[in-house]
Amino acid sequence: MTNILAAAEWGGEFDDVFVDINALFEFAPLFTVDIFGFELGINRTILIAWFMSALVAVIFLLAFRQPQVVPGKLQAIVEGIVDIVRTIVLEIIGPKGLRFVPILTTFFVAIFVLNLAKITPFMMLPPTGRVAWPLFLAVISWLIFVGVGIKEQGFFGYFGGIAFPSGVPKVLYVILTPIEIVSTLILRPFTLAVRLFANMAAGHILVVITMVIPWVFLPSMPVGWLLGVFGIVLGPVVFGFELFIIGLQAYIFTMLTAVYIDSSMEAH
Amino acid sequence: MLITPILAAEAEGLQLLPDPSELVMGLVAFILLALILVKLAFPRINAALEERQAAIQGKIEDADAKLAEAEEAKRNFEANLDDARGEATRIIEEAKASAESLRADILAKAEAEAAQMIERAQADVAAERQRVLQELRTQVGSLSVELASRIVERELDESTHQGLVDEYIERLSSQN
Repeated sequence: MTNILAAAEWGGEFDDVFVDINALFEFAPLFTVDIFGFELGINRTILIAWFMSALVAVIFLLAFRQPQVVPGKLQAIVEGIVDIVRTIVLEIIGPKGLRFVPILTTFFVAIFVLNLAKITPFMMLPPTGRVAWPLFLAVISWLIFVGVGIKEQGFFGYFGGIAFPSGVPKVLYVILTPIEIVSTLILRPFTLAVRLFANMAAGHILVVITMVIPWVFLPSMPVGWLLGVFGIVLGPVVFGFELFIIGLQAYIFTMLTAVYIDSSMEAH
Repeated sequence: MLITPILAAEAEGLQLLPDPSELVMGLVAFILLALILVKLAFPRINAALEERQAAIQGKIEDADAKLAEAEEAKRNFEANLDDARGEATRIIEEAKASAESLRADILAKAEAEAAQMIERAQADVAAERQRVLQELRTQVGSLSVELASRIVERELDESTHQGLVDEYIERLSSQN
């Protein structure tokens, strides 16, 4: 059952997909590694994530192996990516936020390439469509903006600022304090994770359906044939749309993390 | 036949608990990537960006300095030009003034010379007149004596009658 996606891609039965949607996302471990007594099953998703991360690392290191004042193509591309994140940071946090550019760039490119695996041939599976990736990315984002808040405003200053926003009648704290605590400390990472996960999972299902439609319907004449042709025409459109979503989600995650860092840097 | 699987899918839904292996391995991959980018790539990226910024800044400052230099040179040139114009005007004025004074000098000298010549001429004329008058007076005296002695046939003492002669001449002169 867990090998259904591979089957779907390489030609096989799709019946199990209708039984369990997780067949599109879960793959049996190809091998296991033993780290400190923990058995870790290395599956397709993990291999894709490692391959994509390694690719990004190599590109970044290659681009700045011998940095030039007048950049070459690769350097210009990487500088363009860094510049996107710099622009986000400068607009949202301002010059004092420039020290977060490296980690935010890591978020941006990592999420982008992990999303990109969704429409990359021979991968066709976004690790960010699995709960694990959005979860730890959101937790890291949470750790960063809470850490910045404690560092900038002190432990009580930061959490006090969240729980008791200034400029509000004291009576309202009865309502506001629980709302603020929940929204800042729980809903922020939760929505970060769910937004990314849901977009990627839904996108993956959409891509699979688009790919499967011609396969399933083309052979059956005549109505199915029309549907199959429609599926073929739909393919590039869906890929383009998904590419847009891929970039958008990476951008949103990075931008929101910058917004949260900014809100931690100044007292409310 | 088809309904049962769909119901089953709805019952199970999407797996929402993270797979522990994926969580650990994904996290490790992300942390390694973050370390490589933050510790290895970004120092080089920032150095490159700063180098470029410095280069551009240097070029801008260079251009500013050259511009200032050019403006300074232009100001000097214009000041020199003004000086030269002033000098030329002054020289012309001086020349005019000296020519004017020269003219006045020459004129004055000429006038003085002319006046002197006229004066000398008048003095000469007066002296000549005086001399002629004196001579005339002497000749008229002797002629008159000679004439009178011939008329009265007797020798008149020249010296005794000189007074008489003088008186006669005075009368003549005043009649003139």
